[in-house]
Amino acid sequence: MGLRYRVYGGIIFRVVQFFALSRKKNLLYPCTKEKGKSQSSLSPEERKIHRIIRYQDSIIGRYPVVTVATSLFHVLIFIIPLFLLAHNNLLYESWKIRLPSFTEPAADTLTIVFLGLAVFFFFRRMVLPRVRSLTTAYDYAVLLVTASPFLTGFIAYHQWFNYRSMVILHMITGEVTLIAITFTKLGHMIFSFFPASWWEESIASGKGEGPGSSVRG
Amino acid sequence: MVEDTARHIDTIKLREMLDRQKGKMKLLLSFCVHCGLCAESCFLYMGHGKDPKYIPAYKAIHSLGRLYREKGKIDRALLEEIREIIWRHCVLCMRCYCPLGIDIPSMIAMARSICRSQGVYGIYPHSIGAPYEQGDTNMKVESNNDHS
Repeated sequence: MGLRYRVYGGIIFRVVQFFALSRKKNLLYPCTKEKGKSQSSLSPEERKIHRIIRYQDSIIGRYPVVTVATSLFHVLIFIIPLFLLAHNNLLYESWKIRLPSFTEPAADTLTIVFLGLAVFFFFRRMVLPRVRSLTTAYDYAVLLVTASPFLTGFIAYHQWFNYRSMVILHMITGEVTLIAITFTKLGHMIFSFFPASWWEESIASGKGEGPGSSVRG
Repeated sequence: MVEDTARHIDTIKLREMLDRQKGKMKLLLSFCVHCGLCAESCFLYMGHGKDPKYIPAYKAIHSLGRLYREKGKIDRALLEEIREIIWRHCVLCMRCYCPLGIDIPSMIAMARSICRSQGVYGIYPHSIGAPYEQGDTNMKVESNNDHS
């Protein structure tokens, strides 16, 4: 079995694991959902205040810069490799299918933005006390693993250093990143799609009863 | 008598409690990206000069995370350290949030349950008949200087 199938197998395993775990009831405490309470009983002014408080209390309200930076980072990590002309040419050669592609200057600019954001997150880890206190060498390694395919791809495109070596390095780092999704905290790539909207504890995407609802007794 | 009982670590019960939620909790702990975005959702963090020890993720990693990491080597000293984090540094108000949806309060609650199962409790100053009242310094009322 090829490496790529094992990598995708690992990702599928993580998804299945998540589903298996999310079906279990919280064994610590029963969930106590407050039913029958809706915003419809509030006046428009109260609803407006509710919305403002909710916004200010949210991650977007508290950390607007990081929210924009991290959202952009996560969008770019998907769209750059997917809509890159060189990747699509290879895809066409193999499977005779082609996705829409960015122009080369556009892809180049987006890669620079992505790498800039990676540097931003690197310095954020080093500089901010609240992030530094949680950071370990592992976190820097994960960030490096994430950014390395983009960096090597960028260098290879511009044909800096030895092109052939750099393309091989680009492929290796790409494979390493895909493997790391399964075995490291990069698994939040899969994981974050689900709990944010499905887990009853989560308030991240506006659904659910808020963190710790399963603890309320 | 109470103290003697409390000195003994019931490893079987402890392992059983850890194993019961192992899948979910280890998954949550391993996927925490240490972004620190949960920090300001904790009023204790904000009220203690943004001391990193009060960051919700820090509390979860250093309480339940340590219990899972040091599963076979848990001793009373470790539980006492964890008691400081899960009772004094957290009131379980459940207002902390995580952009990934990681349920931090349930981790703290679980760490508390495990500590209680081993006779380690959070003792509040007004507790009556508290087993660790004598010599316990963790739960005493803080002087004004403590808040500086």
